[in-house]
Amino acid sequence: MFLTVTQALLKGFGTNFYIFILTLLMAIPLGFVITLGSMCKFKPVSAVTKIFVWVIRGTPLMLQLIIVMFGPSLIFEYKGMTRMTATLIAFVINYAAYFSEIFRGGIESIPKGQYEAGYVLGLTKVQVFFKIVLMQVIKRIVPPMGNEIITLVKDTSLARIISVIEITQTAQNYIASKALIWPLFYSGVFYLVFCGILTVLFGYIEKKFDYYRG
Amino acid sequence: MSILKAEKIKKSFGNFEVLKGIDLSVEKGETIAVIGPSGSGKSTFLRCLNKLETINDGSIEFDGEIIAENGKYKKDKELRPIISKMGMVFQQFNLFPHKSVIENVIEAPVIVNKISKEEAKKTALQLLKDVGLSEKANEYPCNLSGGQQQRVAIARALAMNPKLMLFDEPTSALDPELTGEVLNVMKKLADEKMTMIVVTHEIAFAKEVATRVVFIDGGVIVEQGNPKDVLENPKNERTIKFLERVLR
Repeated sequence: MFLTVTQALLKGFGTNFYIFILTLLMAIPLGFVITLGSMCKFKPVSAVTKIFVWVIRGTPLMLQLIIVMFGPSLIFEYKGMTRMTATLIAFVINYAAYFSEIFRGGIESIPKGQYEAGYVLGLTKVQVFFKIVLMQVIKRIVPPMGNEIITLVKDTSLARIISVIEITQTAQNYIASKALIWPLFYSGVFYLVFCGILTVLFGYIEKKFDYYRG
Repeated sequence: MSILKAEKIKKSFGNFEVLKGIDLSVEKGETIAVIGPSGSGKSTFLRCLNKLETINDGSIEFDGEIIAENGKYKKDKELRPIISKMGMVFQQFNLFPHKSVIENVIEAPVIVNKISKEEAKKTALQLLKDVGLSEKANEYPCNLSGGQQQRVAIARALAMNPKLMLFDEPTSALDPELTGEVLNVMKKLADEKMTMIVVTHEIAFAKEVATRVVFIDGGVIVEQGNPKDVLENPKNERTIKFLERVLR
């Protein structure tokens, strides 16, 4: 029994991991684009971006999942939306919005003097950003990004609301089908181990940046 | 031959006119000390020269090239190579904290002037030796004292072979016992005939090192001339009052 449950949960967690990794890979670049939008000096662009971020951060991810899943077919009569596609779209947009605010905070925390020093040395704006500012921003956003990414691991379970079979759903099914409660606890171990690995990883990255202060 | 010519520089922040028409012409090899009360516009004037602030009116010419004419600057793209020949040292040093001392110094020569890393390093080590910090080449700025950081900042600016050095209150953020080491480096530069404009509160330094002292108050040059005249026998009432206050 233990072996079958392990296999089933592992398969379920595979889905969670799939959502996690794809969300991460797509939400980071999209988040950066949103950051550029919210920091844009052209007011209409930054205003629209800020409203977008407000809506995405101000409504539940669960609601967003349902809307992305059923909205297209009910509003536009588009039937091609698969559950996984809907999940990924909702997750990527949601997390990109959060990431974009972390990036913006990081970029705005760099003192003006850093830009000025680069400028007077003859560097272009792009060179100043990539050669001087970026590494300092990364150091500053590692802790909040670690936080957000660990939240993402657990949020992946929300996909079950649109019937994506993932680990929590799998574990819960054992209550109904076999009257077993321990698979639920056991499923928690998967999250714990994975978040433990991420914690160690982020600790390591933070340490890598310890060579300087500031 | 004048290397820098600023004419009728006007600058406002909102409704407040900080610079009310400043004319300054700098000859090669001069060391100009710009003094004046806080808020007089002396730092703003310096920052207008390399477009860290933008002027509203006036013209700036540097090394035979026009930087701004009738209140309009050249395009950034054309401005960049000109401005990179104007070294600048800030009150807050503004070293790049994630780069070692030597990386700070070679950054711009490598990126902007496309000099090879090896060559840039050789020059950088010599510059660090000149400012007395060759043994700190591989340290990070956070491990240096303020005086050492400012000397690195000077070396970093010198690495671009500037024709003019701008110092914006270079010792104002330093503990009193650390100002000397920075002023000594600047004095050495002056002795080597580097053209310098130094916005400073160090009257003693102005007296000893400057070839000309410019007193700015209320957005205009109130008085200027050789240090002895301006600092010991000021003619203008405002200069007299200011010197009384700072020398007390």
